[in-house]
Amino acid sequence: MGARRVLLIAVLAAAVLIGFVAVQNLQVSAVYYLTPTEARDRAVAAGTAARLGGQVEAGSLRYEPQTRELRFVISDGTSRITVIGTGAPPSLLREGAGAVVEGTFAADGTFRATQVIAKHDEVYAPPPPGATPSHRPP
Amino acid sequence: MNLSFADIGAGALRAALPLAIWGIGAAAYAAAKRDGRALASARWAALITFLLVALAALAMVGALVTHDFSIVYVARNNALETPLFFTVISLWAALEGSILLWTTILAGATAYVAWRGTLALPRLATTALAVLFAMCAFFLVLVTTPAADPFIRGEIVPPNGNGPNPLLQNHPLMALHPPLLYLGYVLFSVPFAYAIASLILGEGGDRWLVATRRYALVSWGLLGVGIVAGSWWSYAVLGWGGYWAWDPVENAAIMPWLVATAYLHSVMVEEKRRLLRSWNLSLVIATFALTILGTFLTRSGIVNSVHAFSLSAIGPLLLGYLVAIVVLSVGLLLWRMPMLRDSGSVGAPLSREAVFLFQNVVFVAATLTVLLGTLYPLIAEALGGAQLSIGRPYFDRVEVPLALALLFLMGIGPQLPWHGASRATLERQFTAPIVAAAGGALLAVATELGGAFAVLTYALAAFVAATVVQEFARGVRARRALHGESAGTAFANLLRRNGRRYGGYVVHLGIVLVAVAVATSQSKTIEAEQTVTRGQTFEVAGYTVAFNGLRDVAEPQRDLIVADLTITRGGSEQQLHPAILFFPNATQAVGSPGIAAGPGDDVYTILAAYDTAAHSWATIRVLVIPLVSWLWLGGAVVGLGAVIAALPQPKRREVAHPLIEAPATVGD
Repeated sequence: MGARRVLLIAVLAAAVLIGFVAVQNLQVSAVYYLTPTEARDRAVAAGTAARLGGQVEAGSLRYEPQTRELRFVISDGTSRITVIGTGAPPSLLREGAGAVVEGTFAADGTFRATQVIAKHDEVYAPPPPGATPSHRPP
Repeated sequence: MNLSFADIGAGALRAALPLAIWGIGAAAYAAAKRDGRALASARWAALITFLLVALAALAMVGALVTHDFSIVYVARNNALETPLFFTVISLWAALEGSILLWTTILAGATAYVAWRGTLALPRLATTALAVLFAMCAFFLVLVTTPAADPFIRGEIVPPNGNGPNPLLQNHPLMALHPPLLYLGYVLFSVPFAYAIASLILGEGGDRWLVATRRYALVSWGLLGVGIVAGSWWSYAVLGWGGYWAWDPVENAAIMPWLVATAYLHSVMVEEKRRLLRSWNLSLVIATFALTILGTFLTRSGIVNSVHAFSLSAIGPLLLGYLVAIVVLSVGLLLWRMPMLRDSGSVGAPLSREAVFLFQNVVFVAATLTVLLGTLYPLIAEALGGAQLSIGRPYFDRVEVPLALALLFLMGIGPQLPWHGASRATLERQFTAPIVAAAGGALLAVATELGGAFAVLTYALAAFVAATVVQEFARGVRARRALHGESAGTAFANLLRRNGRRYGGYVVHLGIVLVAVAVATSQSKTIEAEQTVTRGQTFEVAGYTVAFNGLRDVAEPQRDLIVADLTITRGGSEQQLHPAILFFPNATQAVGSPGIAAGPGDDVYTILAAYDTAAHSWATIRVLVIPLVSWLWLGGAVVGLGAVIAALPQPKRREVAHPLIEAPATVGD
């Protein structure tokens, strides 16, 4: 019976430890998915990691080959946010088309993108221009 | 009369549905009354159901090949310009076709159980057959209602279709990876059906488990190889230089694989020690439920992001199916719990069964934490309304330590005897592996592998590899001494005559390769990005990258911008062609990396940006990724080990020494 109890305690201790580590890391790893309007409404703090989804505003896409700085405006028809990226492949973006970028908000209100997210299972359908995002909390 | 492929396919599916429903009743009646005529009827129902569903799948391929755009699925996933190869495999390019393929495999497994399984265990297999028929009926409902009817016709027939999703018509691995996953998912229905049958009949023994061991193993092997093939596809197509992103789609595939791995090991505890009966039933139920949960999560579009995807009508149906499976299975399990008492208990902490117990706990913990990370966005949205995703840090920080714990247990488990180990046994089994582990750690430090986790991975990988080599060496030596065989024959005979044990060791070796590949590629990848004009070169990690210019290429189904690169190191030279692809019906362009794969480094190149006006410059990103090809090799070795373990063993002729075929301390 002694050995059995040792095993049981070890198993339980392992489960508790794993659960604790998981919950701890869950909170720091959450990346919010926002539209520009939501980002504005919530006054997201600088340095917060997020995914920003919307449309690449026509005529806003600029790429500087030597510094490899990428700039464009992402918009949901209501609000617009300037996205600045280095290392985000601009070739995957099209003006007027939908885009999802991952990165962090900077103190000056721009969004520093590190990644353009490629969707690989369905055709991406961006929110239509002018539409209020339907998932907004009431 | 002029029949179209849509008429044939839709008709076949509608004929199959009542047959499958008939089969449920016939098989249940045959099992309850031991009625031979009812069993014969169920068998024919199973065979004809399978033939009809297979006919429907072929009709879909026919409709795709003949570009019958009157069918909505064909119009959405095919175009006149789509190459024949990608036209054929468009059968699984989207939801409806995938469900049709799933139904076909399930009907095939049902027919196989009906004709072969019922011979060995008439009552158990016939009850399982009724369960399988019920699953077939559910999937046939999906493919004959708007939820996932692949043959629905559009109101207008477009002159040309949209073509497959760009990312899915980009690489030949698409032919391999989804069917492997579906085969793995669906074949696990058989162990599940037998487990449920065993609970329904109230059988206390482990006949269901022995009868379905091979199905579970094959399903697990296919799922594992399918997952590696999927990560290879992601690496070769998505153009981010990685192979695993903890995406919900990936998590959906890895979760049932993790639980199935736990099951394949705890099965041995039940066989050898008659322990963990209800636990094994729970693992089978969990694995099966996770295959359905994964399909629900990825197919309903609920997790990926409500922003981005249209919801499919199939979601609620799959959710209902999942809930029904979980409620019925758990209910049955609780009802039969008094019969499932174990005879005896797990012994010393240093016994093989104790290690298997720990291993099971870690595998289940890994599954639950992946599940938590995958479902957390749903929970958070339900509670607070915020949409979020759980990024890589969570999964990396939680799963990497668990993976290392598993690697450790994989090293010690097979080395410990059942019931408990003596000090002499421990010394005999662990001296060489511990020396090897120290060597592995030194190698990691000497090659400047960054991070404690990477060093630990190398040490544990060397530890496990040494235990496997030691097992093979001892087995070969024993056979040579007993049977006077040559080393080669002895090795082959080990694999052939004791495939389950030695095939398992081959699998462990494959996992070691995967672990080394992941640790090395994650900690030592070197990345550089530069804008260059034609003729310019730059250096990355000892490789010289020369940019030779951009080309426009027009293909029937797409346009490409191709960058021509020459990669040189030492005397060897390689041409790479990263590109950006434009498909007429896609909103986003698609990057296509150029990869120089090798046994050591992979050189991975991406065309990040280019001069749209004059084609004079391009921004090239280069990643030098060490040992990533070991990952694909490791997946293949895992598959090979599963095949060795699943092959039927030859009938034994040597009755003289049945007890000393293997070292006595490590019984199989």
